[in-house]
Amino acid sequence: MKRPRRNAELGLIILAVLLTGGLYALAGLGRSASLPANIFPFLGVILALFGGAHIAMRILAPDADGMLLPLAAVLNGIGYVFIARLDPDLAGPQALWTALGIGAFVGTLVVVRRARDLERYRYTFAVLGVALLLMPLLPVVGRNINGARLWVRAGTITFQPGELAKIALAIFFAAYLVEKRELLSEVRLTKGRLPDLRVVGPLLLAWGASLVVMTAQRDLGSSLLFFAFFILMVWMATARGAYLGIGFGLFAAGAFFAYSTFEHVQTRVGIWLDPWPKADGQGFQIVQAAYAFGSGGFAGTGPGLGSPGSIPAVATDFIFAAVGEELGLLGTTAVIVAFVLIVASGLRIALRADQPFEQLLAAGLTVIIGLQAFIIIGGVTRLVPLTGLTLPFMSYGGSSLLANYVLLAMLIRVSDDTARRARRQAS
Amino acid sequence: MDRQIRRVGVALLALICLLFVQLNYLQIVRADKLANDPGNARKATRDFNRERGVIQTADGVVVAESVATPDGKFKRLRRYPEAALFAHVSGYLSFTFGTDGVEKTYNDDLAGRSVEVRDVRDVLSDRVRTGNVTLTLTKGLQQVARDALGNRRGSVVALNPTNGAVLAMWSFPSFDPNPLAAQDQRAVQASWKSLQADGSKPLLARTFRERYAPGSTFKVVTAAAALERGPELVGKSYPRLRELDLPRTDANLPNFGGSSCGGTLPDLLKVSCNTGFAQMGLDLGAERLAAEARDFGFAARPPIDLNGPAASEFPEASSFRRDEPALAKSAIGQQDVSATPLEMALVAAGVANGGVIMKPHVMGEVRDSEGRVVRSGPSEPWQRAMSPANAASLRDMMVGVVNGGTATRAAVPGVQVAAKTGTAQTVGDNSHAWIVAFAPAEAPQVAVAVIVESQPGLGDTVTGGRIAAPIAQTVLAAALRTP
Repeated sequence: MKRPRRNAELGLIILAVLLTGGLYALAGLGRSASLPANIFPFLGVILALFGGAHIAMRILAPDADGMLLPLAAVLNGIGYVFIARLDPDLAGPQALWTALGIGAFVGTLVVVRRARDLERYRYTFAVLGVALLLMPLLPVVGRNINGARLWVRAGTITFQPGELAKIALAIFFAAYLVEKRELLSEVRLTKGRLPDLRVVGPLLLAWGASLVVMTAQRDLGSSLLFFAFFILMVWMATARGAYLGIGFGLFAAGAFFAYSTFEHVQTRVGIWLDPWPKADGQGFQIVQAAYAFGSGGFAGTGPGLGSPGSIPAVATDFIFAAVGEELGLLGTTAVIVAFVLIVASGLRIALRADQPFEQLLAAGLTVIIGLQAFIIIGGVTRLVPLTGLTLPFMSYGGSSLLANYVLLAMLIRVSDDTARRARRQAS
Repeated sequence: MDRQIRRVGVALLALICLLFVQLNYLQIVRADKLANDPGNARKATRDFNRERGVIQTADGVVVAESVATPDGKFKRLRRYPEAALFAHVSGYLSFTFGTDGVEKTYNDDLAGRSVEVRDVRDVLSDRVRTGNVTLTLTKGLQQVARDALGNRRGSVVALNPTNGAVLAMWSFPSFDPNPLAAQDQRAVQASWKSLQADGSKPLLARTFRERYAPGSTFKVVTAAAALERGPELVGKSYPRLRELDLPRTDANLPNFGGSSCGGTLPDLLKVSCNTGFAQMGLDLGAERLAAEARDFGFAARPPIDLNGPAASEFPEASSFRRDEPALAKSAIGQQDVSATPLEMALVAAGVANGGVIMKPHVMGEVRDSEGRVVRSGPSEPWQRAMSPANAASLRDMMVGVVNGGTATRAAVPGVQVAAKTGTAQTVGDNSHAWIVAFAPAEAPQVAVAVIVESQPGLGDTVTGGRIAAPIAQTVLAAALRTP
């Protein structure tokens, strides 16, 4: 049987691998005026990784969308080159995590043979999600890094379970909202008719608990992402504009509360409005990022030729600023376009899906990736106040990479299910 | 649900469009401003890490060079082997405090940005493209100037009047630029702080960034104004007076030391006659005197290739309209007139060079690493202050000042020197000792200006003739010995 999507995917993956390899070679030339010694092994390894993922898709999800994997590959590749160039000590771990991430991608496709199977385990996922979120608060394994308690340590590995929690909670919300959306749609604020507490109870519980936990961990980025994600999920499930209104009101109230209560929130807003007076202090990071973007200009300094090393957390949250400096507006635009394409592919999968759960799940997962990219890129470019989040597929960080590959696998699973059903009906 | 999903898509797309707009703002609209913001260390880091050319004197002594450092934040460090001797000319390259002096003016040459790329091999090869700057100054003359001034606060500027090349430019106190170019920025900041806190202002390049009342050296300009713009005054004999009765005030203007003097212009200049020149200033009027001062470069920043030269000042003509005593005092270089030592050297150079002041410069030439000349110092006129004939007349008068006037101590055996001394009163009884001079009078090769600032320990009678003239004499003699 012909698989035109798979062949296109293979072509795009080879393109992504060549692009990554070229960037890697240029970064090596920029740093030391010589080609990296391991350029061919490097090319071989990434080709093997993404080629492996591609073969897995031919077997496990042959009818799925062919854009997502190459897009993830190119973002992952650019991210890796920058991480290796910014801090060679992180290159090894990031390569390992990429391999593990692709392993998790394949593993998810193996385990989750049909997306709708997930629907049955909604409460398991709810408990799992909240448990994952709570893990860093445990006394022995929990770790505090940079003022936020998001990490769990086991042996030499630190892990951010919150990244995976988002996916678990997305599954729960999608399943629960689809089940109860009739009841939830009955809400009429003007007539004072509120939804039954038994219906909204579990929802509010899971949502509230997550928000409280994230706030307690001082993880502003995740709180914001999760809040917006939840409101959009409810709105998509019920088509009731009232929920958007309530959501916006709650957001305003929550933002005001956070601003007036937490000093670190005030600081963030202050340096967002005007970081320059504090360029040597709290505004240092954002000002250094602005310098990086400005120094990059239109075409960038060239890979390996800039000095984005002056930006704190440049390999993780601020990796986009390094791209801005060394690849210029051309590079940042390319990255943005890649995210636009991921969002477009994800939403197309959601629109094509014929099961409401799959629709909502695919849309929700896409919203997570799209919003997360917007919040962190907006924060780094000072479009919105800075809240720490990783840039999906690009930032250094195993948990983030792993979680995003699992998320990708879910989208692909939904896509494959839909296409397969459509073909079965046609034949 | 489809409609909602589509709307979410549109909303996400709108947000990402906002990102694109913001990126254009950062990377296009504000790019230059951000890239060159003083807080952006990228340019400095680049300049620090890359190969950088040498600054050397005309007699081949290295003043600034880059040395590789085995460890530390920067791959290379800037070293100044001559320490304080050329600090105000070479300036410094400091990661924290930026650049100054030749390091700043010729940064692009030294860093290799301006040296022409001729073919593609130049781009691909590792060939060093940095430029080396050769100064017009010599270590020999700079040392003579330093030793002659000794531990007295002041300045010595020597230049070639025919082309504007600066031959020596020393001011005391100076500073060692090496600590400012060091690796450890904490130590750099400490050095900077202690230099800033030093009351004797070692960081200040007094030669071209500090202004003083020029005193009687300014009479050269007043005399030039009479020659150029007051033909009726050239032959006029001024009465012998002890002091001049100034209009509209009870305070009279006395001669130095209470002596009496008078006569025609050459007589007045020889003994530096205050009463005569003050009256001449009143006779000329504000318009003509201010115009001549402007022609000598007052009110403009000299176009020297060092950053931040101070503009010497002569008040606008209109400011004297109701203040004739001020005009009289300004004609003898007091009151609101102020000049940098560089400007007074340029005044002398203008007279020496037939009335034309050449553009002052410290860069002799810039060569690329293969020795090809990339650029060389300008030999261009800056101001036309006098006609050649009037300049010759003024020169003869200044010869008289050396041969039997106030500047006898500036005379160099075997060479005819032309000069004018100045003793500018500062607060109280203190005075700055000045002299401007050039030699040989008939074919000038060097013009100098010397100021010894008013300070304790200069002795009882501080005059330009006693304090500054011997310094000028030493520098002129040395400059003529080593062309």
